[in-house]
Amino acid sequence: MDKEFTPRIAAILCQWCSYTGADLAGTSRLQYPTSIIAMKVMCSSRVDPVLLLKAYLSGSDGVLLGGCHPGDCHYEVGNYHTRRRFAILKAVFDTLGLESARLKLSWISASEGPKFAQVANDYTEEIKKMGENPSKKKMFL
Amino acid sequence: MQGASLKAVDGIKGVIRDFLRKALESEAADAVLVPVRTPAKDSYAWILTNDPALLDEAGPLAPTMPVQGAKALKSLTRKGQGTARVIAVMRPCEVRAAVELSKLNQVHLDNIILLSYDCIGAVPLQDYVGEPAGSEERFDSMLEARKTEESAVKPVCGICVDFSLVDSDIHLGLIGLAGESALLIPNSEKGGALLEAMGIACEEDISGWMQAVSGLKAEREDKRSKALAETGASLQGFDGLHAAFADCVGCHNCQSACPICYCRQCYFDSEVARRDPAALLDTAIARGGIAFPGDRVMFHTGRMAHMSLSCVSCGQCSDACPVSIPVADIFSYMADLTQATFEYAAGRDDGEPLPLRQYREDEVEKVHEIVKGAEEEEVAHE
Repeated sequence: MDKEFTPRIAAILCQWCSYTGADLAGTSRLQYPTSIIAMKVMCSSRVDPVLLLKAYLSGSDGVLLGGCHPGDCHYEVGNYHTRRRFAILKAVFDTLGLESARLKLSWISASEGPKFAQVANDYTEEIKKMGENPSKKKMFL
Repeated sequence: MQGASLKAVDGIKGVIRDFLRKALESEAADAVLVPVRTPAKDSYAWILTNDPALLDEAGPLAPTMPVQGAKALKSLTRKGQGTARVIAVMRPCEVRAAVELSKLNQVHLDNIILLSYDCIGAVPLQDYVGEPAGSEERFDSMLEARKTEESAVKPVCGICVDFSLVDSDIHLGLIGLAGESALLIPNSEKGGALLEAMGIACEEDISGWMQAVSGLKAEREDKRSKALAETGASLQGFDGLHAAFADCVGCHNCQSACPICYCRQCYFDSEVARRDPAALLDTAIARGGIAFPGDRVMFHTGRMAHMSLSCVSCGQCSDACPVSIPVADIFSYMADLTQATFEYAAGRDDGEPLPLRQYREDEVEKVHEIVKGAEEEEVAHE
């Protein structure tokens, strides 16, 4: 029997915007897949690129980093820094031929419940098409 | 730009010794930081001294680099600039590392006069320690010819493009100059003031030297891009990474030898980076097995994300590797690409801010390209 592949997506969300947006999606009873495992951080710029790398190498099928829209950061400029920290990891992935499509950055504000649900749905579909993260079967990492 | 031509009596090393002695005697500087051959004559150590007599022992152009000069400088200035004016004689890659460390507030350059020179490369530490006398001889003959012999130096030295004038205060030009002569070139206000205080007039034309340097640079650029593309091709995907780091013993020597890795507690040595023993068996069952030491790819890839933007390709990591992994080639390959992404070059200019310490609302092209996904959504949403 073929078991349908349900991805596990580590979603690291900033508490002021994206996490609140996810909350709003919930309280608005919008449907989004159970593949999203949400984690709250104070600011998306707090996330060391190595933590995203760790999620990926530990077998997360997708890694989603969510922050406030540029210009709307609670700490004024945190997400501009996020953008650069994320870019360096993407550049490292691309340079090493790793699947950088498994890393996603998204700007979702506290009022954008529908957008959160949409990103969660779309990204889950995208990851489903990519299949399982191959690192899950690697002994020598 | 102009320089002062110096004639050597006792080879190129003599030129620098002479210059340092004069700087100390004329009290233009309080002390010097130079590599000195160890008493057993099988290695070099950084010595901080104000004794002109000790300089006879100094090999200001050391054939090998057991410790990156920027690290020595960090020990001296980690708590601030101090009051002593110190001349530090360093390779261009050491100067670039010092510039990066000063941006990271680990080194203070205010009272330091960085003296760089046209570098012909460094002998790998293992080779030097194994055969000190032979290595000295080979290095001296390279120095005399002012030409790098690729088989004698570290692989990253053979493809180094920043072997000459960098962001130092005074530079000693050697390449393309005849016989025993050298060019002393002031490269900052501080450097100019020091030469003036010593009564050295810089009125000579340096265009011949500049031409020789840029010719060699063009040649090296070509060589570098070819060599690093080859390194990159072998590094692709999990299989490539595994093959590259399969022999890694997890000693983290590459990290402790690295001048840029300055954190007192590295994430990869911390408790949170260690796997939970209770979960290891589950992971092993899910993966079919798990290797120890674990997380080697995570360590190296993570280090690339952490420090490749400041990597100066000095090759200390390869020197420190007990199992001869070409760490420096791999990191240089990564550094060239990540630094290009941010339109940055490590150590090029101490006025250029670190890419991760600044941002632009309207990002540089390649960064914008990378995060475009998120930005486009925003446009669609509005």
